[in-house]
Amino acid sequence: MVIAFWICAALAVFGALGMVFSKKAVHSALFVALTMINLAVLYAILEAPFLSMVQIIVYTGAVMMLFLFVLMVVGVDSSDSLTESIKGQRVPALLGASALGVILIGLLGNITMTNIGFDQAYVAYDGNIDALAGLIFTKYLFAFEATSALLITAALGAMVLTHREHAEKPLTQRDLSVLRFKSGNHPGSLPSPGVYARHNAVDIPALLPDGTMAEISVPKPLAARGAIRLIDLASKDEVQALNRGEAVITSQSTDRVEE
Amino acid sequence: MELNNFILLSAILFSIGAVGVLVRRNAIVVFMSVEMMLNAANLAFVTFAKANGSIDGQVIAFFVMVVAAAEVVVGLSIIVSIFRTRRTASIDEASLLKF
Amino acid sequence: MSSALIADITAPSVNYYMLAPILIVLGGAVLSVLVEAFYPRESRRSAQIALVLTTLVVAFLAVLNIKVDAILGFTIVNSLAIDGVSVFLQGLIILSALVGALLISENRIDPLGDAFAAQSSALPGSEDELAFTERGWYQTEIWSLFLFSVGGMLIFPIANDLLTLFVALEVMSLPLYLLVGMARRRRLLSQEAALKYFVLGAFSSAFMLYGSALVYGFANSVELGDIAKALSASAANSNLMLVGGIFILIGLLFKVGAAPFHQWTPDVYQGAPTAITAFMSAGTKVAAFGALLRVFYVALSGLAWDLSAVLWAIAIITMLVGTIIGVAQSDIKRMLAYSSIAHAGFLLLGVIAQSKAALDGSLFYLAGYAFTSLGAFAVVSLVRDASGEANHLGQWAGLGKRSPVIASVFTLFLLALAGIPLTSGFVGKFAVFAAAYEKGLAPLVVVAVIASAIAGFFYVRVIVLMFFTDASGDEVSVVVPSFATAAAITITAVVTIVLGVIPQPVFDLLSNALFLK
Repeated sequence: MVIAFWICAALAVFGALGMVFSKKAVHSALFVALTMINLAVLYAILEAPFLSMVQIIVYTGAVMMLFLFVLMVVGVDSSDSLTESIKGQRVPALLGASALGVILIGLLGNITMTNIGFDQAYVAYDGNIDALAGLIFTKYLFAFEATSALLITAALGAMVLTHREHAEKPLTQRDLSVLRFKSGNHPGSLPSPGVYARHNAVDIPALLPDGTMAEISVPKPLAARGAIRLIDLASKDEVQALNRGEAVITSQSTDRVEE
Repeated sequence: MELNNFILLSAILFSIGAVGVLVRRNAIVVFMSVEMMLNAANLAFVTFAKANGSIDGQVIAFFVMVVAAAEVVVGLSIIVSIFRTRRTASIDEASLLKF
Repeated sequence: MSSALIADITAPSVNYYMLAPILIVLGGAVLSVLVEAFYPRESRRSAQIALVLTTLVVAFLAVLNIKVDAILGFTIVNSLAIDGVSVFLQGLIILSALVGALLISENRIDPLGDAFAAQSSALPGSEDELAFTERGWYQTEIWSLFLFSVGGMLIFPIANDLLTLFVALEVMSLPLYLLVGMARRRRLLSQEAALKYFVLGAFSSAFMLYGSALVYGFANSVELGDIAKALSASAANSNLMLVGGIFILIGLLFKVGAAPFHQWTPDVYQGAPTAITAFMSAGTKVAAFGALLRVFYVALSGLAWDLSAVLWAIAIITMLVGTIIGVAQSDIKRMLAYSSIAHAGFLLLGVIAQSKAALDGSLFYLAGYAFTSLGAFAVVSLVRDASGEANHLGQWAGLGKRSPVIASVFTLFLLALAGIPLTSGFVGKFAVFAAAYEKGLAPLVVVAVIASAIAGFFYVRVIVLMFFTDASGDEVSVVVPSFATAAAITITAVVTIVLGVIPQPVFDLLSNALFLK
């Protein structure tokens, strides 16, 4: 027991110091978890088996995991900024808090403590959990009821501050594609210029299978400037011929272009 | 088993927690330090329960855990909401309010 | 194995008459959560307001009922004490909450809606928030949180053991931390205030808890009466009791906003939505001073001599910090916050004096201050420019010419805060100072009078600014409020005058206000 105490006490203090002095918040959280597990062992040494389990389940299991979860949300590498916003505040704070510790240890060091144990307390009850229940539901009944208000507040608070509602239901992928077709724009990608034409220059419209020009294949700014080069009629015939599956002998005069 | 040592341990943990609150600038770490202080108080309660032979201290420690859990939820949701608005978790960045 | 033992646990007797106000308010809070879940959004706000006001009125009737026909005493195995003081404080808290609810319900003075963000989880200025604002939807959860907070305030001053005290402190504070961060305008400021309030609040409640642990170690009980008995019985381990007592006081002094634990007050008062500031300044102060008085009078009176040096120092620092730093403020809400710190200092005289007269004086002071402060913040919320409230003192120049009625009402509140005769502030201060003087606290009374004189300066400065200075040309206007705010301002102004002119009925009411030990 004594050895267990010293090991756990040392680890608990190590964890607490680690929490204060580690640069990254995640490391701090893990150090706190270490301290809390050791405290659970200490509770077991102090004959509080129920609390020991609750400590592990609630603190290391729930509370510290919640901390880690929030750390993940806000970014793991959110470390301390080393600049002090209030000049020279850190050193006095450190000294003040250390003085508090020294005074506290000095005052509490010489108290005389009995070690009565729970034999008397358990007379009316069937062990630890029974005795706890006996107190929770009689002497501390009101506090027990009041904590329910606390839990509702916590749930409500978490919802109010972090649960985002939308005024309207956000659009799904299906809604988006329906909208795209409804608007009447060209749904697919536009034909590229120069298809079936003699040229594939960007200013020459593509030809549709019937040989007419597809004006949407030419960039709009060119069309607006009137810089589209129209193709000769011969190529229209050639396209129609191609579509009929006939062989086409292209003429040499590929550069005849009407303005 | 010398119970004084448990009380001294709780005093040490409480002081380290207080140092953490005053020295660290990351709101989440500050908040962990507060949890450390609550745990120190719990250890004192459980120790005194054994020393005085009354189970009350254990019951109180149990209540403190419940309260601390609720407090953690509220505190972390405040931190998350301020982080969303501001994208930082440092309490000094929060400095629109000047002395 | 334990089925045979269940019979051994006898259920504690619960006096429902005494608990009625608390149960009604907390029950109303739970109902309001259900309304939140099942009521259509469009009519939720009016349903919530109706529910909250009904709950508070019924709870107030329940408080009156205790006074008439219930036997005063402890209930649920000594965890709560219903006595003259707690009945008075509960009534006062519920009335402050009623006025506070009227202020919170105001949605006419801001063209966008009430004082709270349409959706606090959405980023300020985001599309979601705009969509909510456009549709006129409100964040109606504030009403549930508000009622939970009121419930905690009702428990806090009547808690008769340290565990109930701690739980009540959290029930009262957690909803307030949330409400502070939900302002519609200047959201960042508001969220930072919430963070500051939360971190410092959790820090101080950890101190209170550690103190409770040490006191438990000393007395082997957390009941206030047992602590007093143990204190008079044994001198062994007195260190434990001394440190524990001081730590508990730190937690309570934080809540009342006494220096050097006051740092949160100006920031939170400035950042919170003004209606919440008003409610906090009244409700929290009444509840926390009630608890402080009970802990000090019932449990720690045996420690009074040991603690007197600490308390004297704290009272003096609090009065001086509140007044001297208050003079330097240029923001009206911060100025009122420092004024509230100064008032906490004056009230500490009543805590230190430890006599029936001091107790009566403190309770009267709390009643007067609660209504005056509610009224003052209500007026602050009416003076606006295009971007929201015009809180800079410079913007208040020349208000007397533009809106003489509002400026005069504000002058009344300032005079009451300064403690000018014929207002409630004067009677309260006089009663507390006289009681303190009788108990031989003359040096403290001298400091208090000097501090009052300095404080008088900055109240008068605002009055001069409003009436005898020309407007600076800013576009500041006094908005015509809805019926709710108008009623709140009227009620608080009338109470401030009536308590100042005919205070005797209240003192008669207080004649049997004693702490059950």
